[in-house]
Amino acid sequence: MSDSWAVDVQDVSKHFGDVKALDSVTLRVRQGEIYGLLGPNGSGKTTLIRMFVGLVAPNAGSVTVLGHRMPNVALLSRVGYMTQAAALYPGLSVEENVSFFATINGAEGGVRAALEFVKLYDRRDSVVSTLSGGMRQRCSLACALVHKPQLLLLDEPTVGVDPQLRVELWDGFKEMSDAGTTIIVSSHVMDEAERCQRLGLILFGKLLIEGSPNEIRARAGKPTLEEAFLSLSETGA
Amino acid sequence: MSGKRVAAITKRLLEQFRRDRRTLALLFVAPIVILGLLGYLIRGSASAPSVGIANDDQGPLGATVASALANSSGISTTMIQASDGDSKLKDGSLTAYIVFLSDFSSQARAGIIAPDVHLEGSQPGTVAPVLQALQQALISVASAAPAGQGVHVQPHVTYLYGGPGFDTLDYFGAAFIGLVVFFLVFVVTIVSFLNERSQGTLERLMASPLRRGEIVVGYMLGFTVLALVQSVEVLVFSLAVLKVHNSGNVALIFGIEALMAIAAVNLGIFLSMFARTEFQAVQFIPLVIVPQFLLSGILFPVNSEPKPLQVLSDVLPLTYAVNGLRDVMIKGADLSWGSLQLDVGVVAGFIVVLVVAAGATLRRRIA
Repeated sequence: MSDSWAVDVQDVSKHFGDVKALDSVTLRVRQGEIYGLLGPNGSGKTTLIRMFVGLVAPNAGSVTVLGHRMPNVALLSRVGYMTQAAALYPGLSVEENVSFFATINGAEGGVRAALEFVKLYDRRDSVVSTLSGGMRQRCSLACALVHKPQLLLLDEPTVGVDPQLRVELWDGFKEMSDAGTTIIVSSHVMDEAERCQRLGLILFGKLLIEGSPNEIRARAGKPTLEEAFLSLSETGA
Repeated sequence: MSGKRVAAITKRLLEQFRRDRRTLALLFVAPIVILGLLGYLIRGSASAPSVGIANDDQGPLGATVASALANSSGISTTMIQASDGDSKLKDGSLTAYIVFLSDFSSQARAGIIAPDVHLEGSQPGTVAPVLQALQQALISVASAAPAGQGVHVQPHVTYLYGGPGFDTLDYFGAAFIGLVVFFLVFVVTIVSFLNERSQGTLERLMASPLRRGEIVVGYMLGFTVLALVQSVEVLVFSLAVLKVHNSGNVALIFGIEALMAIAAVNLGIFLSMFARTEFQAVQFIPLVIVPQFLLSGILFPVNSEPKPLQVLSDVLPLTYAVNGLRDVMIKGADLSWGSLQLDVGVVAGFIVVLVVAAGATLRRRIA
């Protein structure tokens, strides 16, 4: 059964010095699911995502990704990771950036498809340092998904992207998820949360509540996700 | 101009430095380290050029001049056999030797004062004190010549390396060719690798199946290509335009330069692990590069350094690189020379250590 989990986090804790970043977090993400990690800044979302790619080791507990205990370097070619800040080479063109990340992840081709997905194919020859923030964000997304990963980790992917394009990107995520790709996305944009199949609210390093958007609204007894989260955050669930 | 606003800038600046302990330490520690080192190098070095004297004179004058030379303050003398002279020049224990041939006294009486002077010649700074001391010592002999007759003081001077036209640029040029490449490649590497870190792409690389060794070797090859092009340019300019003295094989010079460049790339990657900003990276120049430069023998020959510093010089790779380049360009060394094998071996060994160290410090885990 464990193979059906794309990510299986068991009782994970992490502290940086005196600061507790994660406190006994247990969560599972199904294959093909779009899972939203929600929580205010500094709540531990990025630390958790970094654990999924082995960049951060837990002090306690275990992280299993696609059936393999992390860290596992060989597995990383099946994972796509989009960091919070658009981590790109500013002196290279859009296409050069994307094809570099394709190559180091062992993918042949796919650059054009990735660029079309983020609507940057027309700008493929532009040098990244000349792009707007939103375009960089899209280029960074293309770099994360160019090798068609089974698990796509997106750390606040749509910051700076205009609403219209955000809707288009989410349509794309839905398509990828329907085709079997698991997507874990951190966000604090509530209309994005609405499009996730399941959500986890993280607060002060603890997983406060987990469930589908409907379940969470029902649990909090509030009509919108935004209100539900605010009320859950205040009461500590 | 508002005093308040100016003060705000000044205050902000000082507050930033207060939190950046490293920069503060550098500002106050580096000058002491550099000046202290320089002072110790210059004041602490004891050595006057060591000169061997072989007195085969059958008359009394050779001994007279020899004792006058022994009393001169600018050089230190030892008595040797004329036949040992060349080998002592080659192994560096003498910078010159002077031979008074068997007919020195009789020639001097005939008005021709002609001792044989053999100079090592690779260090232009040591030639003048030797010739000056000899000149003064010979005055005592000149009076022995018959009055009313012209006296010809004609030391017969030969050079083991270089020659009378050998100047300071010839001496420094050989070492600087390598140093320029080493320094620039180091700076470019450390800053680019740091960019990789600060722009977040290193995190991305670490979240990919790339191995650490692949990153280090990839970087090494990339910068080596640039460094080799730069090496060719520096070499051609030095030899063709500046006409720096070269008695060695150009390909060998290029080979040593290439090794230095590769060492610099790896040193840059390695040290970039210990810097968080470009600012901190640049701080490695006074701490790592300048002391190495002072101790490498470029300005002050290693064997004239105070003993404790010689120990330090002996473990720094730049010392060997500089020595190797000088051996090739000034002395015409090739790879059959033991000293050059050692120099090249040490630099190559240093590269291996740095590649491993750079790979080991490049951590996949950020926490």
